[in-house]
Amino acid sequence: MNSKALRWTGLGIAAIGVIFAVVLASRFGTNPGLVDSPLLGEPAPQFNLSPLEGGEPVALDSLQGDVVVLNFFASWCPECRAEHDDLVSTANAFEDQGVTFIQVAYQESPPASLDYLVTAGRAESTLYLADPGSRTAIAYGVFGIPETYFIDETGTVVGKIIGETDALTLGATIDAIKRGEDPGQKVTGSTQQSPDG
Amino acid sequence: MSNTNRLFAVAIAVMAVALVFLMSTFESDTDRVEQLGQAIKCPVCQGESIGDSPAQMARDMMALVSQRVDEGASDQEIVDELLASYSGAVLLDPPASGSTLLLWLAPAVVLVVGVGVILWWRRNPTEATQPEVKEEKPRKLAPILFLAGSLAAIVVVAGFFVQDRDGPNTGAAAIDTDNLEEVSNETMEAVIAANADHPEVSGMRLALAERYFEVGDFSSAFPHYLEVAQSPDASDPQAVTALVRLGWMAWEGNREVDAAVGLFDEALAIDDTSATALFLKGQVLWCSATDLDEAASLFGRVLEDPTLESDTRSVVESDLDALNAGAACT
Repeated sequence: MNSKALRWTGLGIAAIGVIFAVVLASRFGTNPGLVDSPLLGEPAPQFNLSPLEGGEPVALDSLQGDVVVLNFFASWCPECRAEHDDLVSTANAFEDQGVTFIQVAYQESPPASLDYLVTAGRAESTLYLADPGSRTAIAYGVFGIPETYFIDETGTVVGKIIGETDALTLGATIDAIKRGEDPGQKVTGSTQQSPDG
Repeated sequence: MSNTNRLFAVAIAVMAVALVFLMSTFESDTDRVEQLGQAIKCPVCQGESIGDSPAQMARDMMALVSQRVDEGASDQEIVDELLASYSGAVLLDPPASGSTLLLWLAPAVVLVVGVGVILWWRRNPTEATQPEVKEEKPRKLAPILFLAGSLAAIVVVAGFFVQDRDGPNTGAAAIDTDNLEEVSNETMEAVIAANADHPEVSGMRLALAERYFEVGDFSSAFPHYLEVAQSPDASDPQAVTALVRLGWMAWEGNREVDAAVGLFDEALAIDDTSATALFLKGQVLWCSATDLDEAASLFGRVLEDPTLESDTRSVVESDLDALNAGAACT
């Protein structure tokens, strides 16, 4: 092989190697659970879930006109426990302000979630719902908990918080939605994938 | 063998072949569920399919896939439904589009380049194997370039790996009292309630109370001023402001002279130069006609403050003139 051909072959292989490495590295560096939710800007998946205590199911479309804060939680999730007081205080503060808080138990039996809520406390206006078969969690693309979705007055998903959140983040997100802004996705911490960690 | 028998044998053979063909192409619903289960990634697992993972989420997704198959949904419909929730992250095989397209194209590109090099080599065997002494320097360039390219690739890969692989992490928002303009009263109430024991919450309490005070909502402002006034974590200026506001609300709301004066005195015990405490105490004593001399003295002390803003100074001077002239307070 003459030197010119050898040089160009080497250059070509090196160039392909660099491009390949950049693309692969960019993909490896991305936690699939942190990709922007494809639901952002889309109509929120409908659900019809019963309260943890049982009783009349709650349909999402019955809440159209309200800002809905949809949080997936479980008692086995430390981050969920850490953010619980902030969810309660924010739900209380926005009570009667056209904001509905919904907390959906994830991968946990209703009795276990109810036991937890007895000690952790609950906001009077928040709807605590069961999700048999994780159908709603799957519909919302939940990778781990806590995850919190924000649905605007028109029923569109406009925000998502991955990880532990707090009252200021929750409230500021609601404020932004009420101003007509789309808060988008925010990562505030780690999540738990299953009761086993 | 008679013609009839021959025809019969041929028919049997054709039927057997057709049966074998049909059996090979027939796909039961169970097979479809299993195949889909192998193609869909368990979102809570590390590189496992929902068909292989023992995780509850994987089992729930398998049950959903099975249900959708029973309902007559096509494979593509089922995959599309999951893509709508999870995006491409739910597929074990990366999609042949966007940045992952390279993964699919790379083997073909390498194959074509490799075949091209071999073909070229075979056509020019002498040239390819003969050493070329004349161009020694350029020949050395290729491995150097290759090495540089590889090093660059390693650096780029390492750069990506040392980054936070969990992506951007904004962290839990701290209590920020410097930028509260866009924060609603409800948000501030929520933050305060969730951080009632936090030593820095007094700033937000005071900011919220001031909002209520400015619009005349004394009943909402009162509990927050009271908390700040009683909090050991409140700074002196914060405590003075809270006490002064409480004193003024006691006077404005209920005409409680003793309570108001007592609160102003508490503020002055912390900062005896507080112009607001001195002025408002003077106002209450004047307006209630409790002690006009003390009122005049307090106004005089306010005017001793060289840092007093001119607008405030003219108001105090005007009030002092009216008081000395025996006029009623306005």
